[in-house]
This record gives sequence, structure tokens and C-alpha cells, in this order.
Amino acid sequence: MTVATASQSTPTLTPRAGPRTAAPQSGFAPWNDPKKPPIVRFEGITKRFDDFVAVKNITLDIYEREFFALLGPSGCGKSTLLRMLGGFEKPTEGKIIVAGQDITDMPPYDRPVNMMFQSYALFPHMTVEGNIGFGLRQEGMPKDKIAERVDEAMGMLELRQFAKRKPNQLSGGQQQRVALARAIAKKPRIVLLDEPLGALDKKLRQQAQFELMRIQETTGTTFIIVTHDQEEAMTVASRIAVMDKGDLVQVATPGDIYENPKTRYISGFIGDVNLFEGKVSAVADGCVEIESTEGSKLKTRSAEPVSVGQQVWLALRPEKIRISHDQPSSTVNAIPGKVEDIGYLGSISHYHVRTAGGQRITALRANAAHAVERSISWEDSVWLDWPVDAGVVLTR
Amino acid sequence: MSSSSSPDIRRWYVIAAPYLWLLIFFLIPFFVVFKLSLSDVATAIPPYTPIFSWSTGIWEFFSQLDFENYTFIFGDPLYINAYFSSVKIAAVATFLTLLVAYPMAYGMARAPKAWQPTLMMLVILPFWTSFLIRIYAWIAILKPEGFATLFLTKLGIISEPLQIMNTTTAVYIGIVYSYLPFMLLPLYASLEKINPSLLEAAQDLGSRPWRSFWQVTFPLSLPGVFAGCLLVFIPAVGEFVIPDLLGGSDTLMIGKTLWTEFFNNRDWPLASAVAVLLLFVLIVPIVIFQRQQQLEREAGR
Repeated sequence: MTVATASQSTPTLTPRAGPRTAAPQSGFAPWNDPKKPPIVRFEGITKRFDDFVAVKNITLDIYEREFFALLGPSGCGKSTLLRMLGGFEKPTEGKIIVAGQDITDMPPYDRPVNMMFQSYALFPHMTVEGNIGFGLRQEGMPKDKIAERVDEAMGMLELRQFAKRKPNQLSGGQQQRVALARAIAKKPRIVLLDEPLGALDKKLRQQAQFELMRIQETTGTTFIIVTHDQEEAMTVASRIAVMDKGDLVQVATPGDIYENPKTRYISGFIGDVNLFEGKVSAVADGCVEIESTEGSKLKTRSAEPVSVGQQVWLALRPEKIRISHDQPSSTVNAIPGKVEDIGYLGSISHYHVRTAGGQRITALRANAAHAVERSISWEDSVWLDWPVDAGVVLTR
Repeated sequence: MSSSSSPDIRRWYVIAAPYLWLLIFFLIPFFVVFKLSLSDVATAIPPYTPIFSWSTGIWEFFSQLDFENYTFIFGDPLYINAYFSSVKIAAVATFLTLLVAYPMAYGMARAPKAWQPTLMMLVILPFWTSFLIRIYAWIAILKPEGFATLFLTKLGIISEPLQIMNTTTAVYIGIVYSYLPFMLLPLYASLEKINPSLLEAAQDLGSRPWRSFWQVTFPLSLPGVFAGCLLVFIPAVGEFVIPDLLGGSDTLMIGKTLWTEFFNNRDWPLASAVAVLLLFVLIVPIVIFQRQQQLEREAGR
């Protein structure tokens, strides 16, 4: 099975919802093309285990050549959703359609998907070659053709020198590469990755993330990854679906998820965030004014339909907040406070500031100059301010 | 033993204990039996000569020992046939036990985790009754007017009484029944260790369930198959009680021959020679067993 060369249909560059777009692959956005058929469609998928609902009525489209991430804490249903696509769990309700074909009742061995397991699940009694060629042997492919394809996969993942080794003679990183090679050897249309890098240490994991992206791009395969690591999802994915307790909370590009989170849960799950709770005091010119409970007046540009008096939250990323000793000229979005803690991380510093209203706010500042003229220190009185388009209004 | 001068002397005590046990209760008795096998039968108490005494001296004692009993055994086809027949019956019975035990062990390993201790208990439960009593129970089941006949006639499967008591078939049934746990437990242990995601991976890569079994499950259970087969085969070759109680006159097994020589003919030296030869017959599978264990240890490092 060869992967159809996508990208023939010139992707229409429709502007995405929200004020900002920060997709890394700006040209690739099949999810915005209403005519583009999805390669995977989950239709109203629900999965119950006895009285526990693991996945709640999820409808989701994934497109060819996407690197799609299912992100969420453990127990959120992301692995169950992936395992249903692999055929290892049957949905209680709903349909799964792959390339226009209903595969809901298809056994795993007939599905055009291959999975890379969290435990790698390498066959301990077979060599690296044997493991990678396993799927090809099931198809009854001629021996020389198998050897060719196995060699190709081994070359792609730099495994040739380990061809005759058994899995227990390999390091964790090498095993991970064998597992990936085995999953792509059959050239499936979709590769499923269940926490593929969970067992690697941090440095190796970053290296492996880029390797995954390289393989995904060179093979042109659709990758669907399950992960609980938001940085990993942000790094590799074209789109991220954030899940919580069986629900799909938001599906968007990494940039959109970061800049325009839909709920407080997502804003906190991906990256650090400052949340101001408050009530809407005015709505005008696409701007929302919020009277925060800690006593400040906040103004933010927002497309979120809100009404005066409604309870809302303003989510503000630490790097969007300016911190200085001088009072800013503007009176909106300016809060005085006292520095409580400083986290020096080398390239950047975190400042934890307690406002007059008692809220703790984190601001981030790059340590650009070697010695800042007036460096901010503990117990300093400072001003925090940010532009009107820095924050996001959340209603949930 | 290694020549390293370990400062921890207690370690040597720990190692010495089992070796001392083997020396006293295995090696020394073996030499007693071996010496007996080199003696001559005599109408006396004990029924053999020579008996060591300080008055005649060690040289005199050794000069009376010979390999006469061994040449006799090799010259008489009865013994050779008994050896071959024992090995054959044990091998067939081992294979039958494997066929019965494998699905059971597989079922146990796949059963819900909460059930597994109970199932294990059920396997071991028969050991709580005397082995002899359980074999006697089989007589009651297998005899022509026994429970098996009664049951199968009632079901209308047979119309005439079963004629399996006192045949080799009854011996097979007895061995399979008695040694089933020895096959089942190592099989279960190796099947239970197999990571279920390996089977998912096999299916994911296009292998149908039956092929997955032969490509993944069975090869990975081979250590258990080896261990189980040897644990059944080795004692089954020398089995005496089962062929004696369930087998007929046509069931030739070396254990029975040995018993006859020892108790009926009171020929202790010949019986000892038969026993020593039986040990040599079993050395081959025992060595295989040891090697297998060694390999498994290395694989599971």
C-alpha cells in the first residue's frame, strides 16, 4: 500500500478563528478545507467499561498526512480512543470510518493501521530484522522483497548494525526505534503511537520527537500520537485534541491551543497561565472590560460573546506581562505589586508578584542584558502591565 | 568451586548446605546401590555377598565385586525391552499430558487475575489426597463395571463395558492424571509471563489469532513446555505404582521389573543393577533439563 501524495489540493488559507494564528506549518491545514475528506472519522464514539465511561460521545476528523496528538492526563480516555482505532477495543456506541470505510467491526489484523505500543511489545524471540519484517511476512510477501523493505526501514532509523540482535540486547532508545520501524515497515496509511517516548529520558525524548517528525514527513503517513506531555504534543503535532475525563475539550493547532485556549482547564494544562476571576463590566468595540475580584480593571480584546455581569476569567500567559519599576502611562491593565519570589532559569527569569488585591501573578522576562540597569529584586515594588490583546477571556 | 577467597565465609555455609544434603541422601545411597549391583546374590540375610568385614580386608572385598549382573541384563531381552517400553510409554504419556495441560494452562493464564489463585489451588488440590488412593480410585472408575462404563452407557455412547482396565491405555490415563500438575505449573508460569500486548502487536501487524499463537505464544512458552515435559517424563520412566495397579501383564515397565527382581526374586544385586542402568537412561533428559534451565536463566538476566 503506498501513501497517496497529498498536498496536491492546494490548501486554502482560510484564516482560523481567533485573533492570532501561530501554526508552525502554515501552509498545511486540510481541516479548514470543507471539501477535503478526512482519513479517520470518529462518529459519536462512546466507550463504557462496566459503569465507567472512558470516552464520551466523541466526534473527530483527522486528515491525511496530519501529525495528530491526543493529549490529556492519564485516565482521560485518549489511549482508549487510540486502541479503538487499532481495533483492540470495541466502541460501545458510534462508528469509526477510515478512508471512507466503516471499520468499527473490523478485526485488528485487517485494519490499514499499525500501532507502536507504549511497552514497544517487541517479540523477544525474534531479532531486530525478524521484528521489523513480522508484518510483511503475514502478507506473504516474497522473501527478497521483505528483506528490501526491512533494510529500508532499518536504514531510516539507523538500525542496520543491530539487525541480528535480540530486543533484550538493545538499549531503550534502540528498542524504541525498532518499534517505530516495525510500525512503519508495512507502509500503513495511519501509524498509531501510544505514548511512544514515555520510557525515554528527557534528552533522548527530544531527539526522538524530531526523529518522529522526520519519519512522518518523509513517509507522508498520517501519525496519531497519544501523549500526556504537552510539550511533546506542541512539538510534534499539526493539531492537538485535548481530552479530559472522556470528553474532547478542544481540537486546534498547537498555536491556537496555546494562544486561544477554550477553557481554564486547557489554559492551565498547556503552559503556565495567570487567571483573573471577575465580572464583565462593559463590552464595547470588540473589547471586554472586566472588574476582577482582586480589585483591578482589566481590558481585553475578545471575540467571545459575553454579557455585562457575567462571570469570566482572563487567562494571561506569563511571557505577555511586562514587569518594571516604573508606573506605565496607561491605567488599563496595569497592576502594582510586590516581588515575592524569583526563579532564575538562566535565559529567562520567573517573577512571582503579589498584587495589592492578594493575587499571585507570574511574569516572565528574558535576561537579555548581562546586567540589567536596575535589576528587579525580592521585595521590590513593581508594576505589571500588558496590552489589550494579550489575554484571553474564558467563560468555562 | 571458584578459588576466589571471598571474605564472606557465611556464603560458603549457604552453598554447602544443599551439597551436603545431596551427598548424604543421594550420593552415598547411590554408591551403596552401585556396590550392591556389583555383588552376587546369596541365600542369606542380607541376601548378597560380599559383606565388608575388617577381618578379610579391603582387597579381598573388592576382588569379589564384578559386572556379572550388567552382562546378564544386556544378555536378556526382557530387561532391554522393559527399558525401551518404559521410555516409549513415558514419552507417549508425556505428549498426552502436554496436549491436555496446554489448553488448561493457557486458559488459566488468560483467566481474570482474581481467579488465578483459585484455579491454581484447584490444580494442586489432588495432592492433598494420597497418590495411592487416587490411583485406586481410578481402578473403580476404569474397571468394566466401573463408573466410566456406567456413565457412558447411561449417555448411550457405549453399549458394552469398557475394557481398558489392565491395559496400557489405563497406564496412560493414570500417568496423565497423576503428572498433570507437573506439566501444568511450568506451562502456566511461562504463559502467564507473556506480555498480552505482544499478541496485540502480532494482530496489529496482520497476524490472525491462530497464527499469532504459533508465531508468538507457542515459541515463548517453549521453556515451560521443556520443563513440563521433563518433569513428567523423568519420573514416568521409572513409574511403578501406576503400571502395577492399572496396567496389565502386557504393560512392560522397568519399575515393575525392578520391583519383581527385588521383592519376588529377592535378587537385590540384579535389582540394583537395573536401578543403576535406569539412572543412566535418565541422565540424558536430566542433562537436557539442566541445560534448558541454564539457558532460561541467561535469557532472563
